[in-house]
Amino acid sequence: MTAPLVIGSVAYSPNVVPIWEGMRDYFAETSTPIDFVLFSNYGRQVDALISGSLDLAWNTNLAWVRTLAQTDGGCRALASRDTDLIFKTVFVARSGSGFSSLESLRGRRLVLGSRDSAQAAILPVHFLREAGLSEGDVNLTRINSDVGKHGDTGRSELDALRAVLDDRADAAAIGINTWQAIGRGELLPGAFESFWNSPEYSHCTFTAMPSLAIERADPWVANLLAMDWENSKHRPILEMEGLQAWVPPRLEGYASLVAAIREQGIAARW
Amino acid sequence: MSPSSAEPSAMGVVLDLIEGIGRVPTGGTATVELLEGNRISALDLVAAWCASSGNEIVSVEGLTVTVLHGRSPDPLAGLDPAQLPGSRVWVYTNFDCNLACDYCCVRSSPKAERRAIGAERLQRIASEAAAAGVGELILTGGEPFLLNDLDALVNSCTDELPTTLLTNGMLFRGARLERLRRMDRSRLTLQVSVDSATPGIHDSHRGTGSWAKAVDGIRIAHDEGFRVKVAATLPADQMHELDPFHAFLDTIGISRKDQVIRALAHRGVADSGIELTVDSLIPEVTITADGVYWHPVAADHDDQFVTRDIFPLADAIAEITRRFVAHRRAAERAAEWFPCA
Repeated sequence: MTAPLVIGSVAYSPNVVPIWEGMRDYFAETSTPIDFVLFSNYGRQVDALISGSLDLAWNTNLAWVRTLAQTDGGCRALASRDTDLIFKTVFVARSGSGFSSLESLRGRRLVLGSRDSAQAAILPVHFLREAGLSEGDVNLTRINSDVGKHGDTGRSELDALRAVLDDRADAAAIGINTWQAIGRGELLPGAFESFWNSPEYSHCTFTAMPSLAIERADPWVANLLAMDWENSKHRPILEMEGLQAWVPPRLEGYASLVAAIREQGIAARW
Repeated sequence: MSPSSAEPSAMGVVLDLIEGIGRVPTGGTATVELLEGNRISALDLVAAWCASSGNEIVSVEGLTVTVLHGRSPDPLAGLDPAQLPGSRVWVYTNFDCNLACDYCCVRSSPKAERRAIGAERLQRIASEAAAAGVGELILTGGEPFLLNDLDALVNSCTDELPTTLLTNGMLFRGARLERLRRMDRSRLTLQVSVDSATPGIHDSHRGTGSWAKAVDGIRIAHDEGFRVKVAATLPADQMHELDPFHAFLDTIGISRKDQVIRALAHRGVADSGIELTVDSLIPEVTITADGVYWHPVAADHDDQFVTRDIFPLADAIAEITRRFVAHRRAAERAAEWFPCA
C-alpha cells in the first residue's frame, strides 16, 4: 500500500479537524492517501515542512512566500482554492465618512489587523505606499490578535471593525472574506461602506518541498482537483474550507506580497 | 435611540457573533447578548446575518441569542414524500359508532357524542385540501355509515381528491347500502377493519359476530365494484405471526398492497399498546369537528390538539409542519447534549 502523504495544516478553527478528516476519508479512496498534522502556527508548520516532517503544507500566502525565501525558490505551489486566486484587501469606514480613495486616508486613523496578516496588515501598508502614503502620512493602529495564524481566524479584523464602530479609528483594512462575512455593507446599510478594493492577489496554497517526487505530487493534485462541489460527499468539506473548486495556483498573484515583504523588511523566518 | 447610534451597536453584535461562530465547529452553537436599547434591530440584523451566512438562530431567550454554526439538517428532507405533513388529510366525519371496540383510540361507541364534521365544512376541507396540494383524503370515525348524508359527504370529497373511507363494513344493508352505491367507485377506496383470520381475536375486541359481518361487508363492497383495503390493529406481541392473516386476506380478494397491519396504540380506551407522542410520531394532519390534531390516533386527546382553526387549511398544514420541524430539531439537540452525569 502507498504510504500516505503527510499534510500540515494550522488549526485556526475547530472546523479544521472535520475538514481534514473529511479530506483524509476522500483521499483514502484514491490512489494517493493522506494523513494530516495540525500546528498551532504557520512558523512551526513551515519549519516542519522544511525539515522533512511533512510532505505538504497548507500554507497562507505569507507562509508560502517565507517558505520560498527559505528554500531559495525551491519549493513548489501545487494547488489553491478558487477563492485564493481572487483575494483582495478592502478598506472600509463608517458609512458616510467621506473616504473616496487611499489618498483620503492622509492624516486619518487606519486600523490594521495582526502584523502577520497579509490581507489586513502587510499588504495594506504596501498599497498605501503604492498610493504615495508612507506610514507617517496615515495614523496606523495595529491589532495583533492571534499572531502566528496569519489572520486566518479573522479575529483581528473583527477587532479592527469594532475599533471603527467605537470611533477609535476612522477606517479599517480587512480581507475580502471578512468583508463578505459581515455582509459587504448590505446587511446593515449605514454601518460600514468600502471605499477602496485592492487588486486581486493570491492567498493560500499547498506547498511542497523539492524532495517530493513529481510522480507522487501530480496524482495527488489530480485527485484534489477532482473534488466536486456537486458531489454531496465532497461538498461539506469544500463548504467548510471556503471554496467551490480546487485549482492550480496563480503564482503571479504573490508578487505584491513579495514586494511588500521586501519593502517592510519582514523576515523570512521568525 | 437614533439610527446613527443604534445601528453600529447592532453591528457590533454581529461582529461578536461572527467571532463566536468561528470558535465552534459546524454543528456547534454560539451565543451573543443583545443590548436592551436596540434589541429588536439587533435581532433583525442577527437574523439577516444568519440568513445570508448559512447559520441558524436556534433560540432567543431575553437578550441571549443562540446561533447554530451551519444549518441543521432539514427534518423534512429525510421523509418519504408520502410522509410529508399534508400529503394526505384525515377527517373524522363523526365519533359515534355501532361498535365499542376495547382498543378504540378515540373512545367511539354507540354512546359517544356524534360530533359530526358536517357537509359544509367537509366540502370546504376537500376544496382547500386540493388547492393546498394534498394528495388524498381519508375519512374515518366513529362509524361513518351511521351518517344519513354519507353519500353526499363522500362525493364532495371524491369530487376533489382520491378518498379512502374507513368503516367496520358491518352496515351495508338497506338505505346504507344504497348510499354506498351512490359513491364514486373510481375515486373511493373502502378500508375495512379486520383483526384476525378467524373470528376469535377480532370478536374479542370488537364484539361477538362482528368478524363475520365485516368479512361479509368486504364481499358486498367487492360485489359493488369497490376497491377494498383491510386494516388490522394488532398488539405488538402478535406482529410476528402475520403469515396466516395475510393468507386469509389473500383468499377474500384483498391484494397484498391493500393489507395494512398497524400496531395497537395506547390511546383512547386501549389499556395497553405503543406510546405515541408528538415527539415520536410523524404527523398526519387530522381534522375533527373540534379542530386540527397532530395524528388520527390521538384525535380525541388534548396533547395532540394543534388548533381550533381548521381554515385556512393550508395554514393548519403549515403549522403542523412547523411544529414537526421544531420537534425534530429539539430532539436532535437533546440527543447531542444529553448529559450522562
